[in-house]
Amino acid sequence: MDRAVSTGHNRAVSEVLIEMRGAGKRFRTWKRREGFGGFFVNLFAREWTEVAALEGIELEIRRGEFLGLIGANGAGKTTLLKCVSGITPVSSGSARMFGCDSFALRDEHKRRLSMVMGQRSQLWWDLPAIDSFRLLREIYSVPRSDFELRLRESAERLQVTDMLQRQLRNLSLGERMKMEIIGAFLHEPDVVFLDEPTIGLDLVSRETIRRYLVEINRARGVTIVLTSHDMEDIEETCRRLVILRQGRVLFDGGLVDLKARTYERRAIEVHLEPSSPGWDAAFEPLLEPFGARLERAAPLTLLFSVPAPAVQRFVPFLFERFAIRDLSIEHHPLDMIIRQIFQQREGGA
Amino acid sequence: MSTAAPSSSIARDLRLLGVAFAYELRKVTAWRAGFVVRELMRSLWRPLVMIFVYRAILVTPEARFGGFDFPALVAYLILAASFEKLLFHQRGLDLADQIFQGYVTKYLTMPVRFFVLALGRFAQHLAVQSSVVAFLWVVGSLLFPQWWPRVASASAALQAFVLVLLGSYCAFLMCFLVNVLAFWLEVVWTLSAMASFVFSFAAGVLVPVSAMPQSLAGALRWMFPYWAVSAPGELFLGRLGTQEFLRGVCVLLAWVVALELLRQLLWRRGLRRHIGAGV
Repeated sequence: MDRAVSTGHNRAVSEVLIEMRGAGKRFRTWKRREGFGGFFVNLFAREWTEVAALEGIELEIRRGEFLGLIGANGAGKTTLLKCVSGITPVSSGSARMFGCDSFALRDEHKRRLSMVMGQRSQLWWDLPAIDSFRLLREIYSVPRSDFELRLRESAERLQVTDMLQRQLRNLSLGERMKMEIIGAFLHEPDVVFLDEPTIGLDLVSRETIRRYLVEINRARGVTIVLTSHDMEDIEETCRRLVILRQGRVLFDGGLVDLKARTYERRAIEVHLEPSSPGWDAAFEPLLEPFGARLERAAPLTLLFSVPAPAVQRFVPFLFERFAIRDLSIEHHPLDMIIRQIFQQREGGA
Repeated sequence: MSTAAPSSSIARDLRLLGVAFAYELRKVTAWRAGFVVRELMRSLWRPLVMIFVYRAILVTPEARFGGFDFPALVAYLILAASFEKLLFHQRGLDLADQIFQGYVTKYLTMPVRFFVLALGRFAQHLAVQSSVVAFLWVVGSLLFPQWWPRVASASAALQAFVLVLLGSYCAFLMCFLVNVLAFWLEVVWTLSAMASFVFSFAAGVLVPVSAMPQSLAGALRWMFPYWAVSAPGELFLGRLGTQEFLRGVCVLLAWVVALELLRQLLWRRGLRRHIGAGV
């Protein structure tokens, strides 16, 4: 596991809220055989297999951290959230929250956490969100005055004040997600788990939600654990990043540290004219003298990763080979950095 | 789940039950068309059909069916339909859906006993259906005074109501149990439809239990559906007495205890299986 030194806030003095030590989670599942014959065999003899969703997870999350949890589908992100939040027990090692075994949290601990699943609404479809919030107020025993104040503030910040009284079914996806987020913060939790909260949302809604999360994390010191496939979400909100791959932690460290590693390289995106020759595998050896790598090749778009000192020489080379309509040079975007981490690990494996 | 002092835990659960009741009430009235179809019109058609069936069977004024003449059967069917409306029904609980779709997991991170929220649904059902039945009784007795059932005495009406309430709670627990099977099975709605049909038959909604063969009627008297619909109907009409009422209370309380224990057991085991399977 790669563990970089974290920066950004004082982690040394803040309290550890979440702790996983050698945590693993295994599921038992049976293989469904194909075909009509397989159907009959399945009825009488099932072949059971064990799937490791998480293995040897070492993780420590402190008060006030904003942690991004990323990985491909099936990497174990949601399972990790479920183990940490006490929905499901770990199969090996330990998962603790607020100093207690996560799977044995008491009501007073549960009042300190909240969870939003982007694809699992906790608000009732046929009712205005305000009705569901009132039920949540009672579940979390929030005093009425605090409830009113927090609701008003959150609704204003997320720009949904006028929609509180509307049936949830009549709201857009973005508005509904904002309501989910309001509901998650009404009881002022210490820890909030957000599982793909911006999935399917438009740019404006995503931006509003990100800004709200960052503000609330800074103002109240709420610990937020966010999973997302949207790298913009991660870049604009998280200070720490944990990358999961096949149930293992591949990287755990500060986002700044991660980016600093690749400051010596640049991403060059080239948009070709329709008349231009496209990319050919034969060009590959020509990249070596520049230390460049092809990251992505679409019919009219090429993306290269190039060492910063070589950029000046590499750009004229591109103009010689291709008919270029547009070209941009930037620091490496986060998704490219992460892809490189995956590739390095695969290469090392 | 909670480790707070029992008194404060019960007080909290009661407060939450009140809020859940109001929440469920708003849910059921959120859709006017849905309310009219689901709450007002549900279980009206079956007794109407049965009245025509019995009319076809009992052609002459002297004809009898299990000791009932036609007007007595109409009165019984009206009562059975009214009491059946007060019973919690399978569609009243969407727990199986919540289990299938994984929504139930969110409650595991909340400081709440899920059953309290489900009880809110039951309380809402009783409140709404009591109002609906009261409304239908006023309208029905004004429109069809000659057919409408006449109560034997005030205490008979009270006894009938007590049995229906206990029976409705049994039906609620039964629904909860069938829904909880979704932790293991994918055919809950089929089971639910089957259970609903068996329940209607055993409750005497189609045919009065006392009109059934003696051995069958004797067996059904140990089942809670009989004491939830058929027996209250006959109590109301004065065909059964206080002794039968007391027997009914005992049978229903025994069922409440058995179903409650089973509910707790299945819920705990189901949840363990659910989370073990990765939700």
